[in-house]
Amino acid sequence: MNEGTTPRNDHVLLDAKGLVKTLGGNRVVDGIDLTCRSGEVLGLLGPNGAGKTTTLRMCYGFLRPDSGQIRIAGHDLANDGDRARRALGVCTQDNTYDSDFTVRGNLVQTGRYYRPRQGDLVQRIDALIERFGLAPFANQKPDTLSGGFKRRLMIARAVVHQPRVVFLDEPTTGLDPQARVAVWELIHSLRAEGLAVVLTTHYMDEAARLSDRLQVLQAGRVRAGGGTRAVLGDVVGEHVVLVAAQSPDAGRVMEWFRNRGIKPAQVLSHWHVPLDASGLAAFVAAFPDLEYEVRPPTLDDLFLALAHETTR
Amino acid sequence: MNPYSPALAWQSRAILARHLRVHLRNWYTVTLPPVCEPLIMLLAFGVGLGRQIGTLSWNGQSLDYLHYLAPGMLAYTAFMSSFFQSLFAAYIRMHFQKSWEGQLTTQVRLEHVVWGEALWAATLATAYAALVCVVLVGFGLAGTLTLHWAWLPVAIPLLFLAALAFSAAGLYFTAILPSIDHMTLPFFLVIMPIGFASSTYFPIPDVPFLSTVVQFNPLHQLAEGLRALLLTGKFTGSLIAAAGLCGLLLVVLIPIDMRLLRRRVFGDR
Repeated sequence: MNEGTTPRNDHVLLDAKGLVKTLGGNRVVDGIDLTCRSGEVLGLLGPNGAGKTTTLRMCYGFLRPDSGQIRIAGHDLANDGDRARRALGVCTQDNTYDSDFTVRGNLVQTGRYYRPRQGDLVQRIDALIERFGLAPFANQKPDTLSGGFKRRLMIARAVVHQPRVVFLDEPTTGLDPQARVAVWELIHSLRAEGLAVVLTTHYMDEAARLSDRLQVLQAGRVRAGGGTRAVLGDVVGEHVVLVAAQSPDAGRVMEWFRNRGIKPAQVLSHWHVPLDASGLAAFVAAFPDLEYEVRPPTLDDLFLALAHETTR
Repeated sequence: MNPYSPALAWQSRAILARHLRVHLRNWYTVTLPPVCEPLIMLLAFGVGLGRQIGTLSWNGQSLDYLHYLAPGMLAYTAFMSSFFQSLFAAYIRMHFQKSWEGQLTTQVRLEHVVWGEALWAATLATAYAALVCVVLVGFGLAGTLTLHWAWLPVAIPLLFLAALAFSAAGLYFTAILPSIDHMTLPFFLVIMPIGFASSTYFPIPDVPFLSTVVQFNPLHQLAEGLRALLLTGKFTGSLIAAAGLCGLLLVVLIPIDMRLLRRRVFGDR
């Protein structure tokens, strides 16, 4: 978590209020508020179908919200769309670069889709190609690049016009660990430049490492928000107890949990049970001879808890 | 929002310029077919088949097949090239290349993408028709074709308007076709009937019902209007009818295209 590691500007660059969106008869986003400040990374988390991508798509102007307001760097996206869009950049979940152009051509072409134009576009592109490690491939078509370099190109495209807010929709999905770390470093550098970065990801380690603040979405609503600890405390609890599913006492233990309204989640060979301090004390007193493990909750537990709540 | 004003926006021009840039990179390969095709067609049909046909009657006037064919080819080129470009090429860009989605994350909006595609298809089709004009001039210099050459430049803006209207029709199918496997349907349902009932390559048979129906075919009016213009030097009602029908197509189809493509691209209302 980056909390407190870099001085943050209090200037709010993304301010979205009361976002609602219905698609195909389903209310996919149901009253979500988002803010992101200069030099801040906001991580949007949630299981599949939580509304992350739809929320992001509304924030960068791809979808129109049914209701709600979005301001980008002070410009209302609905009424001052051109200025708002000039101030934002997007790395979509799919690689949506222009496969008819080379890597350099993609950056040039993307720069042409903005007014007022970037004054020093050629120098800016040269600098981005260097910084994103794309120099050896500058004159190649993007389809010939590896997955990691394709994502680097996508992020370079998102910032070619020097936006103030950048939206990264699952920027590292499908990448190997080395390529992921390279993308993390780029995101870190964008944050250091003072950009407001809004990020969605399924990787919990990524969310924890990159984000200053997390916002957890579930069924189109904000389930919890804040730092990692606050979010885990809100959704999961203070502790997670792991009980071996093959334990001879497992049936008795599970019944004890169910009687208290706690439904454990089974992951492979263990039951994972989130508990607060008093719950843990009661559990310890009830099963003094049981073998089990207690550990602090992680964002993986958060995902399990959310998935469990959604299917319940 | 007015669906027509984005045609003049800088974003639509940026999309048009993008397509032009991609096209010009391969100018030597992409220019060959539009030059060779009319050349082959005029030689094979106009000269070759024309010798077998002898003369035919058009508006009470006797003329050889090459003279009948030349203005028809101009009209057909504008029709076919724009329809193909706005249907097939635009579908590839939208569905497979995802370049529309990339553009739509910038200051470009869907109405600009739609107008950019339509303007590009019309520009390319007009350029191809201009190449047909060059081939016709070549036949004229060879002494096998006599047209009112001074009227040839007048045909260009009319061809552009017609191509723009046909590209709006192509985009309609881009919006509604479920998959690329269905791409043959508009060719059978639109291109072939309109092409056959258009007096571009052969005169319409003198059947009362057919003669009435073709009056509403903009390609027929365009071909007949260009024929009158280039063979007799007269600006007839057919050209006005062609311009009117094409204008009507544009006015009706562009808002429909935008609505359908919005649903297709965004899954939105």
